Amino acid sequence: MTFPPEAPLFPPASRARRQFLQVSAASLAMVGLSAPFPAMAQADLPPLEDYAPEFFTPGEWAFVLAAVARLIPSEGAGPGAIEARVPVFIDRQLDGNFGQASDWYMAGPHQADAAPEFGWQTPLSPAEVYRAAIPVFDDWCRDTLGAPFAGLETEAQDEALTRLEAEEVPLAPEIRDFFKILLANTKEGYFSDPIHGGNHGMAAWVHIGFPGARAHYLDWVGQHNVRYPLGPVSISGERA
Amino acid sequence: MIFLRILAAFVLMGIMALVAIIWLPVSRSPLSESVPADWTASPGEGEYVMRAGDCMACHTAENGPDFAGGRAIESPLGTIYTANITPDPETGIGSWTLPQFRAAMIDGLRPDGAHLYPAMPYENYRMLTERDIRALYSYFMDEVEPVNSPVPEPELPLPFNQRWGIRVLNWAILSHDNGFDGTMGDPVLDRGQYLVEGPGHCAACHSPRTVYMGQDGIAAGEPDFLTGGFIAGQEAPPLRGQGSRIRHWPIQELTTFLATGRNFESTANGEMGLVVDHSLQHLTDDDIIAIARFLRAADRLQHEAPEEAVATGPLSIPYAQANAEGADTARMLTGAQPDMPLGARLYLDNCAQCHFVTGRGSPGIFPALQGNSLVTSSEIAPLVSIILQGARVEGTEKRPMPLVMQGYKDRLDDAEIAELASFLRQAWGNAAEPVTEAEVAEIRQSGEAIGH
Repeated sequence: MTFPPEAPLFPPASRARRQFLQVSAASLAMVGLSAPFPAMAQADLPPLEDYAPEFFTPGEWAFVLAAVARLIPSEGAGPGAIEARVPVFIDRQLDGNFGQASDWYMAGPHQADAAPEFGWQTPLSPAEVYRAAIPVFDDWCRDTLGAPFAGLETEAQDEALTRLEAEEVPLAPEIRDFFKILLANTKEGYFSDPIHGGNHGMAAWVHIGFPGARAHYLDWVGQHNVRYPLGPVSISGERA
Repeated sequence: MIFLRILAAFVLMGIMALVAIIWLPVSRSPLSESVPADWTASPGEGEYVMRAGDCMACHTAENGPDFAGGRAIESPLGTIYTANITPDPETGIGSWTLPQFRAAMIDGLRPDGAHLYPAMPYENYRMLTERDIRALYSYFMDEVEPVNSPVPEPELPLPFNQRWGIRVLNWAILSHDNGFDGTMGDPVLDRGQYLVEGPGHCAACHSPRTVYMGQDGIAAGEPDFLTGGFIAGQEAPPLRGQGSRIRHWPIQELTTFLATGRNFESTANGEMGLVVDHSLQHLTDDDIIAIARFLRAADRLQHEAPEEAVATGPLSIPYAQANAEGADTARMLTGAQPDMPLGARLYLDNCAQCHFVTGRGSPGIFPALQGNSLVTSSEIAPLVSIILQGARVEGTEKRPMPLVMQGYKDRLDDAEIAELASFLRQAWGNAAEPVTEAEVAEIRQSGEAIGH
């Protein structure tokens, strides 16, 4: 099992045209066929195109689909964020406790432009950051690159995200950390247990060789330089 | 026709016998020992007899007040509800005299002369000493809070709802004298014998039943005494004889199990969990040791008397290595090959964290599944129910941590549980019949029907 190479987050601009809505049939089939046991539960989910977001508006949803497809693209070594259904994870998180910051201290005082070392300083909840930042970023894309983010070619999308990361897109202090939040949530949706909506079919775990929530490797402690052969198991008991 | 005459004669005799059975006055057993009239129990003595007799487990409904009864007892014949034995005069036993209480305990008779259903183990309590009966009576009358709480009528079909029928049964099963005479020739062993045969009523579950549902073996010396039985759809494993697993336990492990409900390879589940929780953990070390020594002696096994019931001080219990019978299964599971059978894969994904690839569990904490009578029993419902609903072993004074197993009803479907249970029943040298998906579905449904 090879781990993903230390690849640049954004692949070279020579990629094929974006195909973020076309969930890769090949990669899904790979997940299904690699398992000697029948996969459970998630196999009968509706396709991503038919998912009805709980939190995002149609415009926001188009942005998230397009953005995560560039952060973890489908053309890489493993499944992309789209195949892993990362947008579903982010939608459900923003609709839940995380999005509402319901178990965070949010009473202030706030100083949104404080240095990053001071942690979450914006008065906005994560859901409010997404809601406020997406239109600002889309306007910037339209003004600078000629279309809202979801309507850009992949090369232009990569440039837009690169400049967002480099803080070249003017954002108010309250939404300054938008890219960091988006990137963190994308990684979380890719690698977290499928029970939260992402990591569909445990494809990300299969890709990196993580065996999941089995939590029993005592018998392997002394087995050095032997590849652990068994596929992952999820919290709800899916096998791959 | 001579045939009709004979038939008529039989019918007439039958009716006469029935009249006799129903109408002859019941008789109560004579005193087994003379106790001075002014004798009174010392403080705590009656409560201790109650603990030894485990009255609470049956006479308390789940989450109900102590001793107010109403716990459903599923018998093969129908459901009966345990009596309110608080001293409430209306719905409990507050109006009972000592002789009436004594007759219930040893003759199975209510004050009105009606027979108690033999779910009440008067067959065993018959061996109680007169002093213990008196101590118990004063405990219930003076120390238990009265609770006014009527108990539902039994749900038994004809003819089992006719209490006079029990009378015939009692002629068969109450033939032994009341009271206790030790036969072990040693005061400690005799004390153990008394606790096991009398108040502990171990034979009520752990002895087989005769065709008329009496206990087959209620005292040491009888061949089938404590050689295994069934209770509430659960196997009560043999405590002695060739098929007994506990006869191979070191005696210190036996006392530890009795006092704490857990030891190097077993935990007390289901009915036995109640026994430990309500009864055994409250007994003195001396009595626990006496019980264990009697069980050894009843099997004619040499034994050393342990110094304490449960080892004290810091414990470091080593990981239980696979044994010869379990080596192949342990090797297969350790290999973690993707082409292993589904049942084995499910075991690795769900069970091996606590029960280990060796099938020998986590000594002192989680039970071994190898050689576990609950796993290999002909009664599959306990095993499947525990996989579905989980299990809980209560903490005791000497081992305070409760042990909890989660249920897997949401994580595994019926076909998967059948594969898993079948694997358990044939792994590590276990040799029991597989379980089918349909059987699991039925057990799941009956569990849902009672709110699981």
